[in-house]
Amino acid sequence: MNLGTVKINRHCTCVYYHDWHRTRRPKPAVEGGILPAVSQAVFAPVETNNNATLSSYGSPRNTLNSSGVVVAVNEINSQSTASPLLQAPPSPIAASSTGLAFDEEVKLVYGVVLSLRNMIKKLSGRDEQFVNYKTSAYKLHLFESLSGYKFIMLSDPSTESLRLILRQIYVGPFLEYVVRNPLVTMDSKEYGIDNEYFRTGVDRMIRGSSFFS
Amino acid sequence: MAIFGLWVINKAGGLVYQRTFADGLAQLTSNENLVLAGTLHGIHAITARLSPIPGQSSGAQVIEGETFKLNVLLTLTGTKFILLTSPAEPASAIDVLLQKIYTLYSEKVMQNPFHTPEMPIRSEAFDTSLGALIS
Repeated sequence: MNLGTVKINRHCTCVYYHDWHRTRRPKPAVEGGILPAVSQAVFAPVETNNNATLSSYGSPRNTLNSSGVVVAVNEINSQSTASPLLQAPPSPIAASSTGLAFDEEVKLVYGVVLSLRNMIKKLSGRDEQFVNYKTSAYKLHLFESLSGYKFIMLSDPSTESLRLILRQIYVGPFLEYVVRNPLVTMDSKEYGIDNEYFRTGVDRMIRGSSFFS
Repeated sequence: MAIFGLWVINKAGGLVYQRTFADGLAQLTSNENLVLAGTLHGIHAITARLSPIPGQSSGAQVIEGETFKLNVLLTLTGTKFILLTSPAEPASAIDVLLQKIYTLYSEKVMQNPFHTPEMPIRSEAFDTSLGALIS
């Protein structure tokens, strides 16, 4: 069972989030605490602007993937139009499982990942990467690209190492729809990397893989 | 299949016992060991808070790197036993080993009337029985 995917860029900001099986929604970030284009699910509630269509929120079926940034929330039974917009959901959001706003949760995740990475490097004496850690309730997998992007996935504890899947996400949808996309500003401090193709590409890849229940 | 080392951390996060059994990891000064133990104590606490599902989560139990892994046993009293092993060690064997180390600890260290709790462990009996257990 996957829980969520998070991607964190070099500036330690979350640029993408996608969840599949999360039983409780993450709390929306406070205004200004999160970049736009990260995820509809956790973007701070704002006034409805003049966008053409409004997507109404159904409850998300799955939340998996812990990518740092919640870039998009996949809704299975939503009545939304094909393209999700950066709109805050009109319905109230249930309390998050951690009790934290999303942007704070991301900072915690990033802090844990960074500290663990330094610790493992110190302990082994070689330039070694931390791969994953497991608690009684979840398992966090990390893949770091050479360019400094960190791909983080949360799954249930009995899953084998998902590092290969994260690497496939990097080599596949990420390179195709984000790096090679002239409209997406990489390394941006203002925007995340949510776009339709990337989201569906990641979704398809994860749902098609063997460990997804 | 090797056991690289053992750390024991008290409930405040301070390192009270540290021992290397096999080479494979970097040699660290005692100060560096103290810092790493404190960091691990903090990480363990934070990982318990990051659970994406409602309900209680324990702290990190296994932390894997590429050439070694860290196994953590948190006891009811807040003491942590950290075993550093090679990644191929099966989890069940490590759990059994950690429980045995905990038993040894309660016999040789806690039942020693001259040992102050939460202070560094200086016990020859603990050292020798640990050596016998892990080899």
